[in-house]
Amino acid sequence: MIEIDQLHKKFGDTEVLKGISLTIAPGEVVSILGASGSGKSTLMRCMNGLAGLNGGSLLIDGLDVSKPRELREIRKRCATVFQHFNLYPHLSVLENITLAPIDVLGRKKAEVEAEAFALLKQVGLADRADAYPGQLSGGQKQRIGICRALAMQPRYLLLDEVTSALDPEMTGEVLDVLAALARSGTTMIFVTHEIAFAREISSRIVFLDDGVVRADMPTDRFFAEDGGYGDERIARFLAKMRNK
Amino acid sequence: MRNQGFNWHDPILWAQGLGVSVGVFAASMILGSLIGIFIALCRVYKVPVVAPLLLVISEFLKNSPVLVQLFLVFFGVPVLLQVNITPAEAAIFTLTGNTAAFIAVIAISAMDALDRGQLEAARSFGHSERSILRKIIAPQALVVAMPALIGLAVNQLQVTSLISAIGVIDLTKVGQILNQRTWQPFIVWAIIGVTYFVLSRVLAMAGGRIENRLRRHMDWAGL
Ligand SMILES: Nc1ncnc2c1ncn2[C@@H]1O[C@H](COP(=O)(O)OP(=O)(O)OP(=O)(O)O)[C@@H](O)[C@H]1O
Ligand SMILES: [Mg+2]
Repeated sequence: MIEIDQLHKKFGDTEVLKGISLTIAPGEVVSILGASGSGKSTLMRCMNGLAGLNGGSLLIDGLDVSKPRELREIRKRCATVFQHFNLYPHLSVLENITLAPIDVLGRKKAEVEAEAFALLKQVGLADRADAYPGQLSGGQKQRIGICRALAMQPRYLLLDEVTSALDPEMTGEVLDVLAALARSGTTMIFVTHEIAFAREISSRIVFLDDGVVRADMPTDRFFAEDGGYGDERIARFLAKMRNK
Repeated sequence: MRNQGFNWHDPILWAQGLGVSVGVFAASMILGSLIGIFIALCRVYKVPVVAPLLLVISEFLKNSPVLVQLFLVFFGVPVLLQVNITPAEAAIFTLTGNTAAFIAVIAISAMDALDRGQLEAARSFGHSERSILRKIIAPQALVVAMPALIGLAVNQLQVTSLISAIGVIDLTKVGQILNQRTWQPFIVWAIIGVTYFVLSRVLAMAGGRIENRLRRHMDWAGL
């Protein structure tokens, strides 16, 4: 369970998150939508402790992100896939995937490697285990990024615009992997500009607007004429996204 | 003592001088690397007070002549602290500080060159700062730093010749001794010069080997 209560976040004098409250239950697939600069990435960074809070609370499974010891535990349960992949360039694909399970969870190398191969197979990259990130295409890198996150067997998967650095052809291959994941019951929090995809895989949409939650409703409601669409700002945002 | 020509003892003298030069070089390189890396880490992790202080010292060491530093340590420290200090100690002390200053600069810029995103990723996966340093930062920074480190090592080897000025009997000092005795400057200094040259080449080649080996794993790292 992710429980965010009156979360505030400032950069200098500008308040970027202005009291976000949000509860996400295990098994949910939540898409966070919103215009550029609305605070989506900042919210994600608060969840994995990369950004500190200036007010309110953020608990994951009852653990508090602002307490270092509890954050360490949170990070074992929450894995992030990054927009720019952020793979370790000096490590092979296999090492990229197995590093955290071995080093952070203290698991056995042989066991973790076997799982890594299984994951690679799932994303169609079984033959690239020994390659280095620099040898891969963007879409392949992002699939490795996903494997790296999944190797932690996380309860929560955070994904921030994981396809926006990819060419359209490569976007498809990554979205396919994510769709399969969503069906498998992994809890996913998913920032995206791929509206159609969000609609397809998520059970719930959170719409951020200038640091506040403007809408938080089941996906069908959000896209209904009298639901999210009824809100003129949301309607305008969706119209703009569609015209892209 | 004039014009006595070479004798059988001279090769031994040469070897001793060589040993002293190599010894001072190795000691100051190893100690200097350790201290330099320490300075760099203080700086990168923004340790209060220590980091800026060390940086001021290292700026001084980088931007003043090594010969002056040697004189300051050899003649100044005994007066200031009322202790005796041998030429060799003064030499190792000074060159260690000097090497550390350069190593710190190299290490800081090598670490700065790494992409921040991967460090955030590592943090988000719960790796400790220590293991991020060991497993992510150090191996990449080393590759980035290798050419500068080789250049520094070769340069510091030449710099050791200055320690003859405070009376350490290193290779250069041996050259002076032999020169004074034999009055064969062309032969003596050619031999000394070639010795430094060969040492430098060996160093550069060994460094290049290591660099290539490190790079082989990282050809694809885009570093
Ligand atoms: N480290 C930072 N320092 C200062 N300001 C920041 C920082 N990170 C984000 N901001 C600001 O906070 C606001 C929200 O940024 P954020 O990245 O969360 O938006 P976003 O919704 O993810 O936008 P996008 O869709 O473009 O990714 C922006 O105005 C941004 O300029
Ligand atoms: Mg963003």
